[in-house]
Amino acid sequence: MSDHDHDHATGPRSVPSGPSSCAEAATAKEAAYRIDYPLSAARNTRVVALDDEAERIIRSAALLEWGQARFFSITDPGEVLAEVDGSNVPLDEVMTDTNTVVMVASSGENATAVAAIGDLARERGIMTAGLVVTPGALTSDALFHLRPHARILLVPAEEDDLIELLRATRA
Amino acid sequence: MLRTDINELLAQTGPRTPMGDLFRRYWQPVLLAEELPENDCPPVRVKVLSERLIAFRDSEGRYGLMDEFCAHRGVSLWFGRNEEGGLRCPYHGWKYDVTGQAVAVPSEPTTSNFCANVKLKSYPMVKRGDVLFAYLGDPAAQPPLPEWEAYTVPDGQVFTSKRLQECNWLQALEGGIDSSHVTFLHGGNLESDPLFKGSKGNEYNKGDLKPFFEVVDSEGGLLIGARRNAEEGKYYWRVTPWVLPNFTMVPPRGDHPVHGHFWVPIDDDNCWAYSFDYHPTRQLTEAEVAAMRAGKGVHSANDPSYRPLANKDNDYLMDRESQKRGENYSGIEGIALQDSSLQESMGPLVDRTKERLVATDAGIIKARQKLYKAVKALQDGVEPTGNRAKDQKVRSVAIVLPADQSFVEGIGEAMVAEPAKPHTSV
Repeated sequence: MSDHDHDHATGPRSVPSGPSSCAEAATAKEAAYRIDYPLSAARNTRVVALDDEAERIIRSAALLEWGQARFFSITDPGEVLAEVDGSNVPLDEVMTDTNTVVMVASSGENATAVAAIGDLARERGIMTAGLVVTPGALTSDALFHLRPHARILLVPAEEDDLIELLRATRA
Repeated sequence: MLRTDINELLAQTGPRTPMGDLFRRYWQPVLLAEELPENDCPPVRVKVLSERLIAFRDSEGRYGLMDEFCAHRGVSLWFGRNEEGGLRCPYHGWKYDVTGQAVAVPSEPTTSNFCANVKLKSYPMVKRGDVLFAYLGDPAAQPPLPEWEAYTVPDGQVFTSKRLQECNWLQALEGGIDSSHVTFLHGGNLESDPLFKGSKGNEYNKGDLKPFFEVVDSEGGLLIGARRNAEEGKYYWRVTPWVLPNFTMVPPRGDHPVHGHFWVPIDDDNCWAYSFDYHPTRQLTEAEVAAMRAGKGVHSANDPSYRPLANKDNDYLMDRESQKRGENYSGIEGIALQDSSLQESMGPLVDRTKERLVATDAGIIKARQKLYKAVKALQDGVEPTGNRAKDQKVRSVAIVLPADQSFVEGIGEAMVAEPAKPHTSV
C-alpha cells in the first residue's frame, strides 16, 4: 500500500496543526481576529398588512428606523398596495426590488391578495414569511390563507414579533 | 443579529447574572447516575452554571451536591474520603453530610459545638431515571421535581448520555431549535443510522427538501412544526418542542426511540449536552442501547471524561473523502458531532452582531425573545414557565395531516405525555 492509498472505511484524516487547526481556531482569542467590515446592504424587505388590525401593527413598526424596509397594506384583489405614506404602488413594482416579504394578518380577509403576493414571490424567488396576529388563537382563517404562501409562519404572533423579526434580519 | 448586551445577557449564567437567575428556577441535569454508581463511591467534581461543586453518594445512598471546597482551608473535597455517612476532607479530617453540614471537626474539643456552625452551601439533587437533577436556586422558589416523560418511564425504557460541548450553551440550544439545518447537515444519516433508518417519515423527508415552517407559541416555550408534502392533499409534519430554558426534543421516526436534549451551561464557554432516547411503551432493545453506547443517533463516542473522541483537538476526525463521496455532508461522522463541530467553530461565544439571519430562522429569533422576556419578567417578580409538570409532559410528534388542518389541532393530545400511551410517529 502506497502512502497515497487510503482505507475507504476510515478515509484520510486531516492533520490538525497550527492556526488552521480547530483547536486553535475555535478559541475566544482567535474569535477576536474575525475580520471587521461593513456587512452587505440591508434586506429589501416589504411588510404587508392584510387587514385593519395588521395595518395598525405595521404602522407602529414603520415609525422605527429601518434599512430598506417598506410598509404597505393591501386589499383584494391585490393589484395595488397602499404605502404607509399614502401613495399607491402596483404589486408588480413592490415585488420587483425585494428579496423578502413579511405578511401580517389578524383575520382571513383579502385571501386573493395573499395568493397574488404568494404567486409572484414563488415566481421570482422571493422569501415569504407570515405573522398571524390572533392573540390566544392557534388556528384561524388567517393561518389557512397565509399557509400556502409563507415559507415560515409565526402563530400566534405577538405585536413585537414583527419588530424582532425585522431587526434580527436587518430589514 | 442580536445586540452585544443582549447576547451576553442570554449567554451568561453564573451566579447573580440575569440569565443565571432564570436558570436557577429549574431542575437541571448535573450528572449521569452512573457517575455515582454505589454508596460511598468516589466523589465527583461538578461545574454547573459557573459554580464549582462536589457530588457524592453517602453510605445510606443519599445524594449530596455542595461547595467543592472545605470550609477550613479551601481544599478540594474531590480528595475527600467518602465514608460512614459523609465526605471527610483528608487535610484535617473535617467531615460533611449530604446537606453540607459539618458533622466532625476533629481538632475541636469533643464537647465543642463548633461544627454545628459550619455548613457548606449545598443544593438538592435527585435521581430521575438514569440522570441526577439538581436545583441551584432559592429554596423558597423550588419548583416541583422534574416530570419529563423520559425520566418517568420504567427502567430499561430510557438511555441518557452526556458529552462536553466546548461553546456557550445558547449556541448549542439554537442548533436544537433550528430545524432547517437537518436536511443539509444530517441528510446523509437518515438511512444509515440504526436509530433513524427505515421509517416512512424518512421518505417524506427525502421527497421534499424545502420544508415550510410554523412556529407556534406555547405556554412552556415553542412548538416548531416543519411541514413537507406527503400524499395528495396531505402534509407530513415534524413537530419539535422547545421548553424553557434549555430542553428540546426531536420528532420520532417509526418505532425508533424518541430523542431529545438538555443543553446545560458548565460556564460561559462550555456546556454539557445531555442527550436521551426513550420509548414510552416498550423496553429499549439490546441493539438500540448498543448503538447509543457506540455514539449513534444523537449520542457520541466519548472518552471517560465524556469528551467526544472526535473533538477540536483532532479536527473532529474530519474525513474529506467521505464528504466527497456524499456519506457525510460535512465530513464529520455522527449527528452529535456534526452539530457540535460547527457550533464550536463559532468560538466560545459567537458575536451575534455579525450574523445574517433569514426568515426561516424565526424559531431562533422567537426563542431568544422568549428567553429575554422571561429574564425581564423574573426581574419583575413574575415566575417563569417550563418548570411545571404541565410544561414538561410534552412529546415531539411526527404525523401526516390533511393540508387544511392546523398542526396544533391535528396533533391534539398526541403532544401530551401519558404513561404507556403510544407515541405518534411516522
